[in-house]
Amino acid sequence: MNRNISRLNWALAAGFVLLVVMLGWWQVVDAEDLRGRAGNQQTAHRERLIDRGSILTADGVAVARSAAKKVDGQTIYRRVYPEGTLAPHVVGFTDDNVGTTGLESTYDRYLSGSYGTEPLLQRLNLKAKRGATLKTTLIARVQRVANQQLLGRTGAVVALDPKTGAVLAMASSPGYDLSKVASGFATIQKQEGVLVNRATSGRYAPGSTFKVVTATAALESDLSYTPTTQFDDNGSISTPGGPIRNFGGKTFGRHSLTDALTFSINTTFARIGTNLGAKRLGAEMTAFGFGARPGIDLPENQVIASGRYKGPTLVASDQEGEDTARIAIGQEQLVVAPLQMAMVAQAIGNDGTLLRPYLVQTIVDRGGAVVREQTPQEVGQVASAQTAGELLGMMRRVVDEGTGTSAALAGLSVAGKTGTAETGDSGLNNAWFIGLAPAESPKVAVAVVIENTGGTGGSDAAPVAREVMQAALAGGG
Amino acid sequence: MSPRTRELGFLIPGALLGVIGVASVASAKSNVLEPGPVAVAAAVIGLFLAMHCALRWRMPQADPYLLPIVGAITAIGLVTLQRIDPALARDQVIWVAVGAIGFIGVVLIVPDHHVLERYRYMIGLTGVGLLVITMIFGTEINGARLWIEIGGGQTVQLGEFSKVLIVIFLAGFLRDKRELLAVPTRKVIGVPVPPAAVVGPLALFLVAALALVVVLNDFGTALLFFGIFLAMIYVAAGRAAYAISGFVLFIAGSVAVWALVPRVADRVTNWLDPFSDEQDQGYQLVQSLYALADGGTFGRGLGGGFLVLENGGRVVPALETDFLFTAIGAELGFIGAVGVLLLFVVLAARGFAIAARAPDGFSKLLAAGLTTVVGLQALLIVGGVVRLVPLTGVTLPFMSYGGSSVVTNFALIALLLVISHRTERPYRPRMRRRDRAAERSLLDPEPIEAYGE
Repeated sequence: MNRNISRLNWALAAGFVLLVVMLGWWQVVDAEDLRGRAGNQQTAHRERLIDRGSILTADGVAVARSAAKKVDGQTIYRRVYPEGTLAPHVVGFTDDNVGTTGLESTYDRYLSGSYGTEPLLQRLNLKAKRGATLKTTLIARVQRVANQQLLGRTGAVVALDPKTGAVLAMASSPGYDLSKVASGFATIQKQEGVLVNRATSGRYAPGSTFKVVTATAALESDLSYTPTTQFDDNGSISTPGGPIRNFGGKTFGRHSLTDALTFSINTTFARIGTNLGAKRLGAEMTAFGFGARPGIDLPENQVIASGRYKGPTLVASDQEGEDTARIAIGQEQLVVAPLQMAMVAQAIGNDGTLLRPYLVQTIVDRGGAVVREQTPQEVGQVASAQTAGELLGMMRRVVDEGTGTSAALAGLSVAGKTGTAETGDSGLNNAWFIGLAPAESPKVAVAVVIENTGGTGGSDAAPVAREVMQAALAGGG
Repeated sequence: MSPRTRELGFLIPGALLGVIGVASVASAKSNVLEPGPVAVAAAVIGLFLAMHCALRWRMPQADPYLLPIVGAITAIGLVTLQRIDPALARDQVIWVAVGAIGFIGVVLIVPDHHVLERYRYMIGLTGVGLLVITMIFGTEINGARLWIEIGGGQTVQLGEFSKVLIVIFLAGFLRDKRELLAVPTRKVIGVPVPPAAVVGPLALFLVAALALVVVLNDFGTALLFFGIFLAMIYVAAGRAAYAISGFVLFIAGSVAVWALVPRVADRVTNWLDPFSDEQDQGYQLVQSLYALADGGTFGRGLGGGFLVLENGGRVVPALETDFLFTAIGAELGFIGAVGVLLLFVVLAARGFAIAARAPDGFSKLLAAGLTTVVGLQALLIVGGVVRLVPLTGVTLPFMSYGGSSVVTNFALIALLLVISHRTERPYRPRMRRRDRAAERSLLDPEPIEAYGE
């Protein structure tokens, strides 16, 4: 009997050995894999224990911060968005169930305090789990004006500092409230298109605003175009893709290149486009950043590359066999995001130097030490300083006496270009305006698009640009 | 050193574990160093000292290790409950107190366990009767009918008590029929089959118990009964063939139950692939595995795991009962969880040692059976938590929140201690000298043989 008892003991002990083996599998061997599984509440909870850094605007408004709370004896942090409607698409949100977007996503490493030597120090209990603070380039004042202007409309506004590439405002309408994401994401999702950042991933035909690019290509080309080069217009021009007429069926007769931009004469730019050819025009587009995703510090899936599209596929800007005349006037397969058009204005306002647009100026840790400071980054030269100066002068005439007069600001010179791209629906246009102010030494570059409006770029988009530029210049830059 | 002094010494680590445990839970929750509910900790230590004194008085030669091991396990259990919800720990302390009273009661009322052998049939019937009562008057909780409502919304699990009663019956019965079992009369398909006189009542008993369990819809208890039954037959008959054929029968039975009882089928499906239905059927098990993984090798520390939700709910449903081991794994880590398992292994080893040392068949069978009850329960529930076996609702002895189980297990340990004491010091009823010889011939047949020398 004792032998049996001993064997029973061993059998039971063997069972416990199996328990230890299984337990070791879950707790040690497979633990990392389990922690990484989607929907693991434990992993999500670990993130709630981190005092995530704040996100501030350049003028000190907190748009995102963390609020501490005691739950089950543990201090957990909840994300709070005190200004949830200010720049929801840019700031983004971070939520266990919904995911992460915007700056919350791009700078997650810094906000959650897992940059540099922080994780090591935290593990050694030498430092608390606290993230760094982001100081963005957004100016709340400008951003509010942009939101206000877009209220009730669908569209986007981008304002850049032409000398640095800093984004002063980036608004997309319709918007949503970041503070409602945690509690009512389903309701937000039901509203069509509110989550899309139209400024960086809206797809629009640029219309006549693209003529600035065509004009740049012409002035920079070896075809000896100058702002005073003379053209003839009889209201229509035949191209391989069919005849092109002027907006509103107008005829302009003899005029200069400056006049062509001022009054947005399609026939002339179609002619220039045909003369330049796909190679020259395409090269200028590439220089402006078309065909590549702008290097702005937002998640890649929220930023699209502007350029020539064949269906959903982006094709090279200098592709042969395309209807260059129609590209030159911003029609055909040209698809752009407002950010790209703002970059066009920025480069012209910065003596022809294109800069990488950015949203975060400095990253500061809780001790006040600067972790990272953003300096202007050159992407390339789109034109000589002289050409850029000539273009500024031409664009100034657009606002002074051309299609963009409603962008004019009292006591300041404004340069700009309107655009009115027809949408599929008859009578409805996408109204565009890109502009710079003050024209002598630009401090702000803007791009505005208003979707599905009965008006034109001059009537609908230019006044928005005016208000935004005024707000940007009001604080002294 | 006397066994009791040794016991007292070994009680110290368990007491320290409890005191430091509640203090660190309280400190973790408030972020300042504080001792926590000192009075409650002192009360529990007092209860164990009372049990120790009862043993010192009536069972001085009892095994000195069982009570300290139980003390350590109880301490870890209470600390874990304290961490989940202090109200649970307070309730449980009351149950430990009732358990201690039961323990002392057994020590005082049962001076010799052999008396139980005489009433084996009555005890066996009572055990089955408790199950019948549960079947008729039971309240259904989570689809299983295991609870009897008593006043004030309190419930008791009579099935817990019947486990011990049935072990006593089996020990008596098998000791009685041991010789018959050991000498099979014929073979069926190569398997030796004992005479009908033995197989009949046993089969009847087993079928009755299992049928009840199927009616009560509790797979865990069925598994436990079956395991105890096989283990005790094996110890009694010494034939692996019985255990093996029993095991085969069990597998066949399990498949049948799996096919017939939906609740069981669900649990088996979860067991095989909990991640396929992570949000619904597999939720509990998957959350438990996540919590274990979060604990990792060293654990998050008491109060450091993510176990309780903001609204007071549990991250892992049934955390304080079926999944208490998960809470231990999450906060004390793999190291701590293995430590708890080792305590159970040592407890079982002591129990089996008592069985091996016991002088007679009934004592051996009883001790081995009781030990199996505790060991197998721990194995089954922890096995369910770590996905070794399908999840069952049996309790983790001395740890899971719930009174019936705690009270039963304390009584069970008391019985084991009685056996170990009587091994060292056989029972001599106190009586007048001239009656002793006559009584002796009735109670203890061996001395009569001695007269023949």
